[in-house]
Amino acid sequence: MSDANQLHEKLRRRMQTGDYVVGNVGRAGLPNAAAIGIFRAQCMSRHLDRIARNLQKSGKSFYTIGSSGHENMAAVAEALRDNDMAFLHYRDAAFQLRRAMRVPGSTPLRDMLLSFTCSSEDPLSGGRHKVLGSRLLAIPPQTSTIASHLPKAVGAAYSIGMPRGVNRGPHPLRRDGIVACTFGDASVNHSTAQGALNTAAWMSYRGLQLPILFVCEDNGIGISVPTPKGWIASSFQHRPGLRYFYADGLNAYDSYAVAREAVEHVREQRQPAFLHLSMVRLLGHAGSDPEISYRSSEDIASDEQHDPILHTARLIADRGILDGSALLAIYDQVGAQCEAIAAQAAVRPHLANATDVMRSIVPPRRAVAPASIVTPDERRKAFGREWNNIQKPQPMAKLLNWGLLDLLLEHPEIFLVGQDIGKKGGVYGVTQRLQQRFRAGRVMDSLLDEQSILGLAIGAAHNGFLPIPEIQFLAYIHNAEDQLRGEAATLSFFSNGQFTNPMVVRVAGLAYQRGFGGHFHNDNSLGVLRDIPGLIVACPSSGRDAVAMLRESVRLAREEQRIVVFIEPIALYNIRDLYEEGDNAWSTTYPEATYTAPFGEVAQRGNGPLAIVSYGNGYYLANQASRTLELEYGIDTCLIDLRWLAPLPVDSLIKAIGSSDHVLVVDECRRSGNVSEAIMAHLHEAGLQRIARLTAEDSFIPTGPAYAATLPSCAAIVETSLALLGIES
Amino acid sequence: MVCPGRGTYNRNELGSLKRTGGAYEELTELFDNIRRREQQLTVSELDGSDRFSSRLHMRSDNASALIYACSYTDYLNIDDHALEIVAVTGNSMGWYTALACAGALSPEDGFELVNTMGSLMQSGGVGGQLIYPCTDIDWVANHQRERAILDRVTEIDGSADQVLKVSIRLGSMIVLAGNEAGLRAFEKAVPVIGDRFPMRLPNHAAFHTSLLSPVADEARLQLANLPLQPTSLPLVDGHGSLWYPHCYERDQLWDYTLGRQVTETYDFTTALRIAAFEFEPDMFVVLGPGRTLRQSVAQCLVAAGWRDLEDRNAFEKRQAEEAIVVGTELVS
Repeated sequence: MSDANQLHEKLRRRMQTGDYVVGNVGRAGLPNAAAIGIFRAQCMSRHLDRIARNLQKSGKSFYTIGSSGHENMAAVAEALRDNDMAFLHYRDAAFQLRRAMRVPGSTPLRDMLLSFTCSSEDPLSGGRHKVLGSRLLAIPPQTSTIASHLPKAVGAAYSIGMPRGVNRGPHPLRRDGIVACTFGDASVNHSTAQGALNTAAWMSYRGLQLPILFVCEDNGIGISVPTPKGWIASSFQHRPGLRYFYADGLNAYDSYAVAREAVEHVREQRQPAFLHLSMVRLLGHAGSDPEISYRSSEDIASDEQHDPILHTARLIADRGILDGSALLAIYDQVGAQCEAIAAQAAVRPHLANATDVMRSIVPPRRAVAPASIVTPDERRKAFGREWNNIQKPQPMAKLLNWGLLDLLLEHPEIFLVGQDIGKKGGVYGVTQRLQQRFRAGRVMDSLLDEQSILGLAIGAAHNGFLPIPEIQFLAYIHNAEDQLRGEAATLSFFSNGQFTNPMVVRVAGLAYQRGFGGHFHNDNSLGVLRDIPGLIVACPSSGRDAVAMLRESVRLAREEQRIVVFIEPIALYNIRDLYEEGDNAWSTTYPEATYTAPFGEVAQRGNGPLAIVSYGNGYYLANQASRTLELEYGIDTCLIDLRWLAPLPVDSLIKAIGSSDHVLVVDECRRSGNVSEAIMAHLHEAGLQRIARLTAEDSFIPTGPAYAATLPSCAAIVETSLALLGIES
Repeated sequence: MVCPGRGTYNRNELGSLKRTGGAYEELTELFDNIRRREQQLTVSELDGSDRFSSRLHMRSDNASALIYACSYTDYLNIDDHALEIVAVTGNSMGWYTALACAGALSPEDGFELVNTMGSLMQSGGVGGQLIYPCTDIDWVANHQRERAILDRVTEIDGSADQVLKVSIRLGSMIVLAGNEAGLRAFEKAVPVIGDRFPMRLPNHAAFHTSLLSPVADEARLQLANLPLQPTSLPLVDGHGSLWYPHCYERDQLWDYTLGRQVTETYDFTTALRIAAFEFEPDMFVVLGPGRTLRQSVAQCLVAAGWRDLEDRNAFEKRQAEEAIVVGTELVS
């Protein structure tokens, strides 16, 4: 007999004989009906764990990480409102079940069993994952295994108090709502979790409103590694800005009473709280985990002795609410109910092919309210003294600044967040004076932590805002990259398009900064962004394009719910000249609305026999090289700016190449793992023969005079072009 | 188990209480006594009439009592050794019957509730109901048609002097309720389907709409002391909530029953979806009188896509094989 079935039999026997565990009487305050509701949810959760493992044995279920021992999370659900958004730990089936029992129209048992069997009818993920979550229950699905959901929970909580625009999403969090975020005693050690907890405490300490309840479910062990005794309490008891609460998580009455206090604190004070619940872990880490190989049988038996369901039965029976036989009848009725549903869930269909699997990578389009009508006077006032310069050619940084200003005027749901973007106006001035014009509520200086910046954005997007977070340097995105890869980009995928977090992440990046900064400010690799399914990577090369592409990115986020990473080439921010000093040829006027840069379309200049395909700084250099090729060698070029680096605009590129019979790809990013490799492959697949590439070396960028030594130069573009054409230089 | 609502005791059902309630003479007598106390015709007298009279049998105060008496005695006829009931639901006034079957009310208190509501509807029920198809003829959802109907309802309801609301979601049909002007506006605005629809439901008030708020208020006063008991079976209500035994406070159930249940849309389609998916029963037993609700139950199962029932054909084929929607005659 499996562990789960043995535990079930033991539990039944003990309930039959009234052999409950010894324990304290628990605090008052939990209404009788709620206590029985919690008990029923606990029984549901336990039976589902058992049935998941039985289904796995018959090949019908595929992932059996369970909630046994954590059933008092149902009491936490009881203490919250049903529309308080909850970002849940994977052991929180009882939480979701209890909430669902209170929300009309829910079918929680069926939903979870379809998730266990990975049926395409699973109403949350459509058969893509066994994951907790529900649109109806305000529970977004989480990859909570590494606690990477904490930063966005902080973001969602922060967004509750943000100034509200008129174009909000369809399910905004209520003003008096709070956010709950749960995790384990082991996963809290992830730097992501620590960063989020620090952010919450920092914001609260700073006096910002942050209505979030953190719940640490402390079962004392992380897979096989014990948590040092007292670690959670010692770590969190005395954190500034974070009120600590503790309850015996085996006792439903205590858990409820303390959870209520914590919830009230968060709701009333709009400040974060840390609820520490001590629990046990039953049935090991997951179905595939042989717990006996690293724990003594005494330890395992001791945890079983403290089965929280037995505790709840004892507490209810001792209060004379229901007797033991009635409680056992509930346990058995729930078991039969779960079995009946499981039998049907096991024969429901699965995803059949790649198209089905991939259908929700790109979120569905949504209807959005039209942009605000901004009168010329309002606009002029917002631009202030800058209005006088709007007809004059400007470099990219200034035009982006104006572009952001207009977007903030047009879309009240846009929210900017990043380090130094407020008073300072960003490292390169791109957000100058925006905070002054739109206040800190919409242009927020964050703390110095990229995970938190992205978390704030993702969370605010859950609440209908359209965030435009800024990452100061491309190299800094790496310590936060999972917030995009593991969290933001997967949300639509495994919620079957029901939850989305559209946003435009502005990242100052790439190289050529004339000796400043070295590799940490001149990162020239985009591989880490380009392989994320569904993510759009944009990279403009001129100010005019930058504004048009930023507008298009915002449209993609607003209307198509896409996540766009907008790479701004730092070295081009303030470039005015192209060929020689003072020619002002790379400055452009602020583009009118009719100038567009549609997603999936390249830009093209000329149609000579030599096509040079590039983007960003490379495209700028290609323009210089083109003149040399024309004037000195009589070679006409066809310059192509890719603009969109993921997904690549292949069709548009091939069309633009047209009759050009030689193609040179110029990539300022490293030779390995970057755009040039993909472009070369596509050109080859399109049957083009005379192709070559010029890329950066597989090196980091040095500080000082050799800053460009590993990068493509104008001269190298000319030289490689001639070589490709078979002309001696 | 599914309890029927109004409109199920018609000409063909005359005498059916005698058939179903024959074994429960004492109980029927209790019901009759309540009617005598209120100086009303007894359900036995109504059921034993020589001929069916719409004016008599379909009045709210008579029809409700008759239907409840038939349904409840039908329920008592079920052989509980042969059948394990896993949950109870009902359509419209069938919710009151469901409460009694689940044990929330004694049989006579259930009758008291139904009879009081029926009488209040007769004296204070305003407006009326009509029924109209909202799916394709084969019961397959037609979102465009449904959207058009709902848009029309919103439009009519928004006009001065006209009230029109969705009263009941009933499988392939939608029941609308409102004042005369609202109902008439709808009748003028939509095409006639199958020579019958939109069809007025005679003697019905604007059930499940805010027009009945005064009735709900009065019912709360008159029935304040009706003793609700703990149930023994889960109930699924007309808003898609599941009431598991012991998991709610008496006041919550009472507030729903004489509150939202009376004044807001009754979503029988959702109730059936919840019952079907959250209990996966082998069959749906539809209590009498009559058989009309069986078709609605089948339509709801198709609407939910329960066990691959994609249309009327699929249902009829499955039904011929394993009888999934049945009356008590199969399980008595």
